[in-house]
Amino acid sequence: MNAIVTLNEVVKEYRLGSVVVPAVRGVTLAIDTGEFLSIAGPSGSGKTTLLNLIGCVDTATRGTVTVDGQNTATLSERALTDLRLHKLGFIFQSFNLIGVLNVFQNVEFPLLLLGNVSKVERTRRVEKIIEQVGLSEHIRHRPNELSGGQRQRVAIARALVTNPRIVLADEPTANLDSVTGDKIIQLMKHMNDNQDTTFIFSTHDPKVTRYADRVIRLKDGQIDDENGVPAKPLAVSA
Amino acid sequence: MGQLILIATQNLLQHKRRNLLLGIAIALVTAMLITLLGLSAGIETTMLRSATTLSSGHINVAGFYKVTSGSAAPLVTGHKELERLVRENTPHLDYTISRMRGWGKVISDTTSFQAGINGVDIDTERGLKNVLRLAPQKDYKPGGTEEIRGNLDNLREPNTVMLFVEQAKRLEVDVGDQLTISAPTPRGVSNTLSVSVVAIAKDVGFMSGWGIFVPNQTVRDIYQLTEDTTGAIMVYLDDIAKLEEVENHLRQLVAKAGHRLMEKDSNPFWMKFERVGNEDWIGQKIDITNWEDEISFMSWTIQSFDALTGILVMILMILVAVGIMNTLWIAIRERTREIGTMRAIGAQKGMISKMFLLEAAVLGFASTAIGALAAVLIAYSINTSGVVIPSEAFQLFTMSETLHVLVRPQTVVFSVGLLTMFTTLSALYPAYRAAKLKPITAIHHVG
Repeated sequence: MNAIVTLNEVVKEYRLGSVVVPAVRGVTLAIDTGEFLSIAGPSGSGKTTLLNLIGCVDTATRGTVTVDGQNTATLSERALTDLRLHKLGFIFQSFNLIGVLNVFQNVEFPLLLLGNVSKVERTRRVEKIIEQVGLSEHIRHRPNELSGGQRQRVAIARALVTNPRIVLADEPTANLDSVTGDKIIQLMKHMNDNQDTTFIFSTHDPKVTRYADRVIRLKDGQIDDENGVPAKPLAVSA
Repeated sequence: MGQLILIATQNLLQHKRRNLLLGIAIALVTAMLITLLGLSAGIETTMLRSATTLSSGHINVAGFYKVTSGSAAPLVTGHKELERLVRENTPHLDYTISRMRGWGKVISDTTSFQAGINGVDIDTERGLKNVLRLAPQKDYKPGGTEEIRGNLDNLREPNTVMLFVEQAKRLEVDVGDQLTISAPTPRGVSNTLSVSVVAIAKDVGFMSGWGIFVPNQTVRDIYQLTEDTTGAIMVYLDDIAKLEEVENHLRQLVAKAGHRLMEKDSNPFWMKFERVGNEDWIGQKIDITNWEDEISFMSWTIQSFDALTGILVMILMILVAVGIMNTLWIAIRERTREIGTMRAIGAQKGMISKMFLLEAAVLGFASTAIGALAAVLIAYSINTSGVVIPSEAFQLFTMSETLHVLVRPQTVVFSVGLLTMFTTLSALYPAYRAAKLKPITAIHHVG
């Protein structure tokens, strides 16, 4: 399998006044195409920071993050945004839907950003993905007319509609009850099985991690090799 | 773009109260701007119509005749041939008239005053007949009746005069009374002539106090001038926008016909006496001027009014700008996570800026359109209800007893465009700040 994401000795530090706070401390990791990977760990362990680094919404203080063969440190802000648009999908803990748009419009939004998808094609893809997440009956509803689980399904549909290579989900079940959370993870797994999309999701819920192909456990910003599946060795390209 | 407009509109609708208040403020400023510009245009139109009828053509072919190098008389000799030339070769011509010009004392049994003497051939004076309204007797005579006495057409008769109400009041005369006109000639003597009052017209602003109207022949008689002499050939165009073009054409035409032309001097003819008197030439020179030269104080008045309007609207626009910026700051604060989400899923900075600019533009356009509609309705109401101007001083200034608001389509388009643009520009900085938000900061914003 080819690694679609690699992290090599990645360090992320935040500065709070004169104090430097390390959030990620020398993480080295390779994630293969099509993996359903869970990043687990307690609050403050660096899960979200790691996802932000992989998702190109944040940059590493030291080390290298490579996404789909591109070293993110060398990319301009515009190029990073393009990378996010074309290669990545995001699912947030609080769903982060656009409140004034209905289900269809929320899912359609990334396709509009792509700019080169015709209206007919957009409609086809949006309706198909909404059907796949089981929300066809709510296609004209606004987010505030949906339950938490339904909103997260919309977020999943939005993340997948552009056929990204990687979907990043930051605690996708944290704001849902356990039954709904389970269904959401199952849906993500179903999408992962049916498409060649890599899913990387963070969670602190042990029940959720059982669906993962691999679990990376973080503790104090480092991979906790003793309590989790050890990280795969980094494939060094010539 | 459609999605962005949709987001902008929906966001505006979501915060109805806040945006409604701001929208009302923008609409009020628009309505005020259009109404004031309409008022200015209305006054300008009324003043222009009155002034070009009373004392100037759109273009004047006039001049000075000097018997000696030290004296100058505002006369055009051989005017019939010149008028024919002008009438036959002027593009956009509506009509021409010929008016004698003079200055003298108007004397009644009780008092006298100095005034300009305008000579007219009443049969050719289309504009004068349209603008002037004869006054009922009670307007100028204590204890007078509603009867309108006299007739403008009686100015066909020799030795007759038409006065305005204020002049008749001062002279204490009625239609049918006799007056004496005493006018100094270039030879240094004063000629006098008795004239009969044949009409008394309602005042047409402050300019009506400046002159009386008599037949052309009466002026010639006073100054002992020949039939072929006039003061000015006044040219009226069917399209005043062509003024400059036609004026230049006339200058070339008159010069080509062999007349000597005076250098262009944008002053009224009565301000040129001293300068022309000091010039070393004798005989006839033609002076071609336009209405703005002859009544330049009016342009100044209108410009002052427009400037005041501009200052007032500018102040209001600054207040609107502060309102827009404040509203957008609040919106950005409320929607920071939304901005972060959009940036995370691939929206470039420019798109975020565009979204907030569009929001301001949609609010601006909708509000200014409503404001413009309100202004048109206000103008219609004022014009149809005949709102009387309460101040006599303002009546003199506007040359009208009632308010007239002229809202031109281009004024509406200009005002809506200007205020929408201004509203949008006010959003530039907040929009720029929104776009500059780092996705990571924005996504995790709490508030």
